[in-house]
Amino acid sequence: MSFLEIDHVSFTYPRHDKPVLTDVDLHFDQGVITALVGPNGSGKTTLTRLMIGVLRPSCGEIRLERRPLVEYSLGEIGRRVGYVFQNPDLQLFCGSVAEEVGFGLANRGCKQETVMERVAFYLDYFELKDYADVFPLHLSQGEKQRLAIAAVLANDPLFLVLDEPTVGLDAYRKRLLEDYLKKISRSGRGMVLVSHDTAFVDRVAERVVILEKGRVIEDSGRKGKAADEA
Amino acid sequence: MVQGLTYRYQPGGPLVLKGIDFHVSRGEIVAVTGLSGCGKSTLCYCICGAFHHNRDGVMTGQVLLNGKNIRERRAASLALEVGMVFQDPDTQLFLPTVEDEIAFVPENLCLPSARIRERVEQVLDLLGLAALREANPHRLSGGEKHLVALAAVLALDPPVLILDEVMSQLDQLGKEKVAAALKRLRNMGKAIIAVEHNLEAVSLADRLLVMERGELLSCGRTAELLADRELMEARGLLYDPSGSAQDS
Amino acid sequence: MKLDPRTKMVMVLCLSGLALLYNTPGRLLLLLAVTVAILLLFRFDLGAIGSYLKPFLSLMVFLFVIQCLFAPSGRVLLAVGPVPLATTGGLLTGAGVVLRIVVVTAAAMLLATFNARDFILGLVQWKVPYELAFMVFIALRFLPVFRDELVNVVTAVQLRGIDLKKVPWGQKIAMYRRLLFPVIYGAMLKAQRLAVSMEARGFRVYPRRTYLRRLNFRFVDYMVLVIFPLITIVLILLQLS
Repeated sequence: MSFLEIDHVSFTYPRHDKPVLTDVDLHFDQGVITALVGPNGSGKTTLTRLMIGVLRPSCGEIRLERRPLVEYSLGEIGRRVGYVFQNPDLQLFCGSVAEEVGFGLANRGCKQETVMERVAFYLDYFELKDYADVFPLHLSQGEKQRLAIAAVLANDPLFLVLDEPTVGLDAYRKRLLEDYLKKISRSGRGMVLVSHDTAFVDRVAERVVILEKGRVIEDSGRKGKAADEA
Repeated sequence: MVQGLTYRYQPGGPLVLKGIDFHVSRGEIVAVTGLSGCGKSTLCYCICGAFHHNRDGVMTGQVLLNGKNIRERRAASLALEVGMVFQDPDTQLFLPTVEDEIAFVPENLCLPSARIRERVEQVLDLLGLAALREANPHRLSGGEKHLVALAAVLALDPPVLILDEVMSQLDQLGKEKVAAALKRLRNMGKAIIAVEHNLEAVSLADRLLVMERGELLSCGRTAELLADRELMEARGLLYDPSGSAQDS
Repeated sequence: MKLDPRTKMVMVLCLSGLALLYNTPGRLLLLLAVTVAILLLFRFDLGAIGSYLKPFLSLMVFLFVIQCLFAPSGRVLLAVGPVPLATTGGLLTGAGVVLRIVVVTAAAMLLATFNARDFILGLVQWKVPYELAFMVFIALRFLPVFRDELVNVVTAVQLRGIDLKKVPWGQKIAMYRRLLFPVIYGAMLKAQRLAVSMEARGFRVYPRRTYLRRLNFRFVDYMVLVIFPLITIVLILLQLS
C-alpha cells in the first residue's frame, strides 16, 4: 500500500505561464528511502511542497494514506509527514533550541517528563546539548540545519520529506544523519530526500527519481515489498 | 594576512577564534574547512570587516590587507577590496531583477552607465546567467539564488574574494560553473578564500586551512593535507572512509 | 501606455486628494469610474483589486452599517420603534465612506503597476538623497517580508503537527505571543544582514551614485503632469465654493 501517492500532478504558480511540474506520477512507500535529484530549477522543492500540502496541484491529485491530501488540515499532515525545509531559517521559531525540539510534543499534550526525555535524547544525538538555551537564529548555518532536522524528527512522524538536508553539514555529521535515517527506515518509515549530494544519495537511497524541467525522466523503481502491488 | 586573530562575540564571553595566523597571496585559492561551529564563518566576517564596523564583539590581533591594517579603513572602502558572499542568499538579494542586483555594485561605485552595462554583461557571461537576466531573484531556485548572490559580488571585481559555503548549495552544473569561474579569477591574480565542507570544492584549492574549535589545526598544500587520511578522517572531513570518496 | 513613475505618483496623489474631499456617493462613483478607466488603460488586472479588498469586506460592511445607524438624516426608510435604522441620508453617507476606501485603494494600485527600481530612480531624479530613496524602498519591500515571516511561522508550526483550528483560544493566544518575539527578531536579523551585505557591496562608499538607466519624461508625461493637477485644483475649488 502506497503511503503517499502523486497522481498525474501538474503545477504552475499563479500568474506564471510556464508549468513548474508536468504530469508527475509517483508513489512512495513506507520503509523506503527515495532520493529526488535533478538540476537546479527542475521543480524538486515545488514537488515537496505539493507533497506536504503547502501548495495545491493545478491538476491531478495527491493522496496520503489513500485519502486525498486536500481533506487533511495542515496540522494533521504535519503529524504524519515531517518536512525539513531547505532553508532552516524558515522553520525555526522558538526562543531556545530546547524549546524548538520539544515544541511539537509539548503542544500535543505529551507529559512534561516525556518531552524532556525526548528533547534530551535528540539534543544529545545531534550534538546540540551545549546550545540548549541558545536562540536558534544565532546558531551557525550547519547547527541550524541539525536543529531543524532534530525538531522534525522529535515529532516521530510516519514519513519524512527532507529538502537538501546535508547542505551545511560536515562529513562527520552527514554520517550521523545517514545512520539515523537508515535506522528510521528500518523501523518501517519511508522518506523522500531532495539532494545534490551524490555521495550521500548513493549511500542512503534505495530508490532514485530524477526530475528535469518538471518531469520525471528516470525512476529506479520501487523495490521490495511494495513492488508487487502496482 | 592574518596575525594572531582572536575574537569574542561578547566581552567576557568565550573566545570564538583563538589566535589565527595565516596568509593568502594573490592568485591563490585557499579553502577553509572544519567541523560546523569551529569558527570558519566568524573568521570570514572578521577578515571582511563586517564585524569590526557592525558589532560590538572584541577583536584582537591584526588583519592586514596589502600591508595595511583593516581597522584603519572605513567599512565601505574595505568593501571595495574584499568581496564577500554570505551563506544565505535571501538576505543579500533585494532588487527586482537579477540584472539590477549585479548593477547595484557598479552603480555604487559611480561608474558611467556604459561601464555599468559592460560589467553586468561580463559577470552574466562569467557565470552563464544571461538567460536569467530579467528574472526576479526571489522566484529562483535555491541554487540559482546562490549564483546570483555570487554574481552580485563579482561585479565588484575585488582583489580578495571570500565565499561562505557557496559550492555546497549548487547542483553539478552550478558547481562546474563556479569552479571554472574561480579558476579564471585566480589566474587573473585574485586571492580567494572559500569556506567549504565539500571535498570536491576543497580539492580546487591550492592550500587548505583546517580549523577546529576556533584554532587553526593545520595549514598547507591541499594535496598534502588531503593525502593525510588520518587527519582528514579524524576531523570528520572525509565522508566515505572506504577511500573511493573523492567524488568528482 | 507607459508613463514615468513620478507621473503616476502625482496622479495617485490627485485622485486620493479628491477622494478625501468628496463625500457624496454620486461624485465618488464618478471618481471611481475615472480611476478604473485609468487602471484599464494601464492594463491593470481589476481582479487584483477585488482580491486585495476581500479581507476588508467585513470591515467595510461594518463601517457602512455604523454610518447608517449613527448619521441618520433625510427620509426614514426602516425603523424599529422610534429608532431609525435606515435613512436615505445614512445610506448615502455609508456608501460614501465605503466608496472612498475603494477609490483610494484603486488609486494606490496604480503604484503597483511599475517596477520598484524605477520608483527609486524616480525619487532620486527628483533630487531625493539616494539613501532616503533606498530606505523607503526597502521599508516597502520589507512589509511583504514580515507577512511572509508570519505565514512561514504559521505553516511551520502546523507542520510540526499542531492543528491551529483545534487549539483552544487561550492556548492559541499564548502561543502567538511566545512566537511573536522570535518572528520580529528574525525579521530584524534579516534586515541587519541585508544592511551588512549592501555595505559589503559598496553602498554609501561615495556620496553619489550613477545608474544603469535613466528615467526620461516624455511628452505624455508633461501633458499629464500639467493637466491632472490642473483639473484637480479646479475640481477642488468647485467643491469648496
